[in-house]
Amino acid sequence: MAIVLRSVLLALACALLGGGAWAQVPAPDGVARVLIVSSDTAVVYTQTAEALTDYLVHQGIPRSDIAQSLVSEMTMRLKSGQPPRPGIFVALGSEATQLLAAAGTQAPVLSALIPRSSFEHILRSHGKVVSARLSAIYLDQPLARQLALVHLAFPQAKRLGVLWGAESSDRAAGLRALVVASGLELQETRVTQPQDLPLALAQVLGGSDVLLALADPAIFNSATIQNILMSSFRARIPLVAFSPAYVRAGAVLAVYTTPVQAAHQAAEVTLGVLRGKPLPEQALEPNDFEVGVNAQVARALDVSPDAQALRSILRRLERLP
Amino acid sequence: MTGGLLLGNQALAQVDALVSEKDFLSEMPIVLSVSRLPQRLDETPGAVTVLDRDMIHQSGARDVADLLRLVPGFQVSNSFESVAPLVSYHGAFDAYSNRLEVQIDGRSVYSPYFIGSVGPGLETVAIEDIERIEVLRGSNSAAYGARAMLGVINIVTRDTADTLGALGAVTVGENGIRDNLARLGWGDGRGTFRLTADTREDDGLSGSNGQSRVSRINFRADIRPNGVDEVQLRLGAMAIDSGRGMAGESGNALRRFSFDSAYAQLDYKHILSADEDVSLKLSHTQESYTDSFPYALQQLNPIRNYLNDAAYFSSHPFSASDIYNVTGDGTASSDVVTLQHTLRYGDALSLVWGGEYRSERIESAAIYNTDSTFVNEFTRLFGNVEWRLAKNWLLNLGALAEHSSDTADSVAPRLMLNWHVTPGHTLRAGVSKAYRPASNFERYADVRYFWNGHQALQTVRGNSQLQAEELVSRELGYLGEFSNWRMSLDVRLFDEQIKHFIRMQGELPKSYVNDENFAIRGIEYQLKWQPWEGAQLLLNQTYTDITTVQPGDALAAPQLASTLSYAQKLPGQVHVALTHFDSRRWTSFDGNENDAQATRRTDFRLAKAMRWGSRRGEIALVVQNVGSAYSDFKKEFLFHKQAYVTLRLED
Repeated sequence: MAIVLRSVLLALACALLGGGAWAQVPAPDGVARVLIVSSDTAVVYTQTAEALTDYLVHQGIPRSDIAQSLVSEMTMRLKSGQPPRPGIFVALGSEATQLLAAAGTQAPVLSALIPRSSFEHILRSHGKVVSARLSAIYLDQPLARQLALVHLAFPQAKRLGVLWGAESSDRAAGLRALVVASGLELQETRVTQPQDLPLALAQVLGGSDVLLALADPAIFNSATIQNILMSSFRARIPLVAFSPAYVRAGAVLAVYTTPVQAAHQAAEVTLGVLRGKPLPEQALEPNDFEVGVNAQVARALDVSPDAQALRSILRRLERLP
Repeated sequence: MTGGLLLGNQALAQVDALVSEKDFLSEMPIVLSVSRLPQRLDETPGAVTVLDRDMIHQSGARDVADLLRLVPGFQVSNSFESVAPLVSYHGAFDAYSNRLEVQIDGRSVYSPYFIGSVGPGLETVAIEDIERIEVLRGSNSAAYGARAMLGVINIVTRDTADTLGALGAVTVGENGIRDNLARLGWGDGRGTFRLTADTREDDGLSGSNGQSRVSRINFRADIRPNGVDEVQLRLGAMAIDSGRGMAGESGNALRRFSFDSAYAQLDYKHILSADEDVSLKLSHTQESYTDSFPYALQQLNPIRNYLNDAAYFSSHPFSASDIYNVTGDGTASSDVVTLQHTLRYGDALSLVWGGEYRSERIESAAIYNTDSTFVNEFTRLFGNVEWRLAKNWLLNLGALAEHSSDTADSVAPRLMLNWHVTPGHTLRAGVSKAYRPASNFERYADVRYFWNGHQALQTVRGNSQLQAEELVSRELGYLGEFSNWRMSLDVRLFDEQIKHFIRMQGELPKSYVNDENFAIRGIEYQLKWQPWEGAQLLLNQTYTDITTVQPGDALAAPQLASTLSYAQKLPGQVHVALTHFDSRRWTSFDGNENDAQATRRTDFRLAKAMRWGSRRGEIALVVQNVGSAYSDFKKEFLFHKQAYVTLRLED
């Protein structure tokens, strides 16, 4: 709430000063060295763009070297025959990444706020690979981190339940290998049609101690979440999810990267590029994250995970600073 | 408000079948809001025993009443002599058991007909459809109203999302046991549905006329229109057809009776935030009772000078063809609206409050000697504050104020303090007050028999001057979790002081009076232990001392009752369970001290589960009362050993 309020105030202040959130940018982006392209006007994108800009300015990049734009605006610019020529594009979200990947810009493109499967989909559809010209920092957490969290928070759990949909099932092989290595047992079901979800869920819950949610709009969405959370709560099986919204909705735990954390990591990479380093040739996992706990649900399920402690241990395990 | 500000609306995340950052950044509707998170057992304002689905299933019980043998402090009868099997807590004082509340998914199934009864309500749903039974041991009028004077039985049916697919079950066995069940569950993410039809049939207790059949049909729909709101619809009907009466008792002849009931219930819940929601409940319940037998009036000739209209009957002797049709026919219905608001303020305070309007209608020319309808209206206002005084101290403060169109207004308060001494060890102390206004029958019964327009007899006359029974209950409780030993212990020490106890008294016509004040004191505990893998041991014991001077009522609960149960999972999906019940002499429901009998019963169950792909099945053998027969309800009614086999198939 505080973050939202801050962003609202920030946007309001900007609007007062400059007549619009996007008009604050002092540099005409023809001369900008960093051009941030957002997929949407929603607060999360503004917030990420602001945090990214602030971090770069803090690191000595003149504010005038940084410009922001929206996908709609950028589409026009690219069509105009006078495309912008920054030193680096930072694409926030799938739409912006999609646009810049399709445009084949001169400057390297760093994609942020993007889930792994969206990025891979964009690469495939344009016949591209991750390179110094097009790279990404994923928004979703590595499976190993999610598994480690399950292990730490529920040491008694032996059986991990997972529901696979069309969008998530390509991660199944990766998860199976990790699960075997960690000594857990995987209870998995593939859901091919939305109407199969209730039965698949009942089956998975029947053989699990913890349910791990992996983003897949066919399975986890605002219409299905009620059934999933209610059923797992009735079965007294904690749901470990991938966003703070799920924790508010009723998931016991989630590990996620906040927009500000994503912005910081993107800023570090951007700074490297500005200083002459190439973009990483492999997409990066998010290097910072939060653990969210729904204390009321945890209490009702008689578990007591400590968000801060879990985050610290996870960071130590991954040897993150 | 965050939903709109953060990332458009929820619809954004849904349209796209591809994963995008919106899956990670969008808001989600609050699902597990405050009222959906039940109080922990160590934080409830009183002792609670939960019978979960595994326990219910593994007991092999065919009636909810039988399951309550597993709960400390309960008395149980399998007889249909008072319409349906009965239970009571801390004393089977009367023939119909009217000092307990029974709810099914929040709807009271306490029967206002008779003298008030929990029996028929306990038969409302198939055991297969029950998720769990929460038994609130101890007075709970502060949350559930007058009828919860000694305790509450909350039956929670399974969510329809958990009962998708088809299920069929057949039980056959000795003593005419023949039960059938068919269930179908269907639906998708927006709504799930269930239809269950079942019958339960047996020849009853030997020596009784209790050949009985219960037929039920129940429908439940859970509709999730938008992820925030929840709508549930429940419809059902039940018929009990049984025999009752005694051979040779001309006023209680052997005959068949039927009790039919039907209900509709609509629930709506709207979630305002994780910390606040409101719910609305509407329900209609109706019941009808049909019971009659012929009575040869000729047998009254020797006493016809003592009949009410002696002048007429002394000069008009009855002939052999004068047959009177004695009936107890009648109907009752209730309509209820309940509105409830649940709020949480931070971690320290939460509040449930609301109101209820309840209208009950009873019609019976046979027992009220009038064609008019008795309408009793109750308006209730209730609230409970759960206040975390300090980290390990929780105070529950609640009250229910009831205004009745017929009896005096009352306020039933409760105060309970829970102290988590150390993690896993909780002490509880509290006091509560409850009232039970006299039932319609106790106040207005008027059972008269007329012949040729002349009153021959009046057998029961209600007493409209009756005061409500009052109960002050004090208790001390302890809940312990010994996780290293895989053991848990629940102890309740109770002192229940009853004032103005309502009793039937006198010569014909019998009537009700506010009788003595007395106390029910004692201690009960339940120990659960998993000594090794797959094993579950349960030990309950209850010591009860009822201080009444009336010897029959003093034995309304046995001085000592024990339940010992051992269940073991074995390889090959085999499960065995052995349960032994043992209680000292008690008078069953409304018996007298000469009828008091000890009860000893051992039940055995052996089951094997099977699986073929998605299909599941189970075959189970149950033997109830492996030992010698015991008396139930009446000295002459015997519960003999009975074995039955259940075959269950699920797809």
